[in-house]
Amino acid sequence: MKLILDAEKCTGCKICELACSAKHQGVFNPKKAHLRINDNYTETGRETRLKSCTLCLKCVETCPVEAITFNGKWLVIDDGLCTGCGDCVDVCPEGVIFLNSEGMAAIPNFCEGNPFCIEWCPQEALYKEEDVA
Amino acid sequence: MSYRWKILRVNLSTGSVAKEPLNKGWTEKYFGGRGLGAKYLYEELGGGVEPLSPENKLILVTGPLTGTIVPCSGKLAIISKSPATGIILDCAIGGSFAAQLKFAGYDMLIVEGQAEKPVYLAINDDDVEIRSAAHLWGKGIFETESRLHDEHGMEAVVLSIGPAGENLIPFACIGSEYYRQAGRGGIGSVMGSKRLKAIVCSGSKDVIVPDMPRLLELVRKAIREDVLTDTNLWAHIGGTPTIVEMSNSSGVFPTRNYQDGVFEGAQKINADSIRKLRPHKKACFACALGCGNYLCIADSTVEGPEYETLALTGANCGVDDLGAIVRFNADCDDLGIDTISLGNVLGFAMEMTEKGMRDFGIRFGDVETYLKMPRLVAYRAGVGKELSRGVKQLAKTYGGAEFAMQVKGLELPGYDPRGSWAMGLAYATAARGGCHMSAWPVADEAFGKLDPFTIEGKAQLVITGQHYNAIKFSLILCDFWALSMGTMSEMVSCVLGREISVAELAKAGERIWNLLRLFNVREGFKAADDTLPARVFKDPLKSGTPAGRVLPRDQFDSMLREYYQLRGWDSNGAPTPEKLKELEM
Repeated sequence: MKLILDAEKCTGCKICELACSAKHQGVFNPKKAHLRINDNYTETGRETRLKSCTLCLKCVETCPVEAITFNGKWLVIDDGLCTGCGDCVDVCPEGVIFLNSEGMAAIPNFCEGNPFCIEWCPQEALYKEEDVA
Repeated sequence: MSYRWKILRVNLSTGSVAKEPLNKGWTEKYFGGRGLGAKYLYEELGGGVEPLSPENKLILVTGPLTGTIVPCSGKLAIISKSPATGIILDCAIGGSFAAQLKFAGYDMLIVEGQAEKPVYLAINDDDVEIRSAAHLWGKGIFETESRLHDEHGMEAVVLSIGPAGENLIPFACIGSEYYRQAGRGGIGSVMGSKRLKAIVCSGSKDVIVPDMPRLLELVRKAIREDVLTDTNLWAHIGGTPTIVEMSNSSGVFPTRNYQDGVFEGAQKINADSIRKLRPHKKACFACALGCGNYLCIADSTVEGPEYETLALTGANCGVDDLGAIVRFNADCDDLGIDTISLGNVLGFAMEMTEKGMRDFGIRFGDVETYLKMPRLVAYRAGVGKELSRGVKQLAKTYGGAEFAMQVKGLELPGYDPRGSWAMGLAYATAARGGCHMSAWPVADEAFGKLDPFTIEGKAQLVITGQHYNAIKFSLILCDFWALSMGTMSEMVSCVLGREISVAELAKAGERIWNLLRLFNVREGFKAADDTLPARVFKDPLKSGTPAGRVLPRDQFDSMLREYYQLRGWDSNGAPTPEKLKELEM
């Protein structure tokens, strides 16, 4: 699956980022969220882009210990195998993988099918790709 | 709990950068934002400091709710002594700077001294650097912000001043995210006097609360059942331009320098007109509402215009051309000028000119001249040299004090007190002068069910509003979530992990209000300063519900006396020792 943002509806409040870090890391920290709302100010106002897992699988290919796998829907990490080397963090083109407070890779998994960010978005601007199509 | 317990203190005279502990005892009494910032300023400044001297301080304060998912908790308080009024100045700015400061690891930033050459401050977690701003000085806020984003990344948040702040205009503002401002009282010129062009901040640290599942449950319920309900949704649907219709139809919409309260062109600048043109909305950090409207007309873009801008630079200048207001607004945002004060200055100058009292070369509705004014004022060029002094000083030199619409040197916002008598008391007693952010009783009177033309019960109405806002802006929450004290207590108790009752919050609100007053008493302000422009007492309004009305002077005086009595202040408006003892101050 993938996340889709309706940029027309998004107000840039970042509640999705806060909800994500709260759920998965137990803290508030947009830099520890598996999605980012990037705002660019332009001549005509504001341009908004979503950064989230696109399932490019670069992290899966890069992980030296094969701790990250793709189950056909989302990424899965084997915490027992992860060494916290950070290669996946560096290779993620969206910047939505990071090391958690234990120094282990935190991998986006769309909350296993029911993304918390979608549930929390007050503008109903986030969707699952399958729900748009 | 969500405090970081750390202050960042930067002295621009010596170049020192220090990290020191936050005073825990003070947070228990003043929480954060307006209250805690005022406490630090009161204790550190002493009386009689010249506002534009190196001795004045600029205090940027977050609150216990900042950085959390509590809705509408994105605001930053900026506290200083005002060059416009000589008394306390408490500003609030939206956007996401407050959250970034907290994520960088600080509850508060105190800027002292004065740099020799223009500088900006770069904060990236523990790394704090004072850098040369030679390449930024002289630039507008838009370009400054864009260049700092190029240098520090898009996720860094910028606070900056424009030429108006650099040139020490007494109504220069601080801008952030291009179109948001700490607007009033010349806060931008305090920054300019320190030769501090900008502050750029990015943070990556956690904000921690004691019981995350409980907070998420509380907030989820609050967003659904409270924030996103009819009481607040106007802020999302129309934003503050919604108030144009409310003000105009109740006859309190300042028109042609408060000569009238109904503007014939109001329909052209109301929320409906704006909604048709806006490409999208914008929210501050952690705000579920999102009140910002982008407007793009001709070659000007602005997030706005907000109600106050539509009132003061629109109706009050006799301008009903929305495109012109958008351009004027964008220029003010870029140059770093407070639109409320400039709208008043121009309205005053227009009336002076039309009455033949002094020719400032500008008349009501003269859009072409009007559009030149932000630039002339920011650079003190041509007629801008005089106009940049503000309404109070202009009246001192050229007369017209009766219709110089200011209190204590701060120009009035967009609600005519002749059609909302409690609003008159709120203006007269607001800590920073003519201001609508201390209490907003116009909502109960002109826009609500209370009779606007009686003083009965109004002193208490204003007092309750002042305490409510004092604590709300100290936690910090935005004005536009009209939450109950009970909900406020639930949120803050959960975030702090200890029970903070409604009574404790109300008492803190009163304590903060008394502290602001103590600051002003120390500066020599007395009961005689708690007054309104003579026009409010003498010139009847012309149209609508309040047609023929003034706020009678004797009624105002009675209301003010009752206000002092209820507050436990002496007849000169100073808190009594008994009151201070009761408030544990």
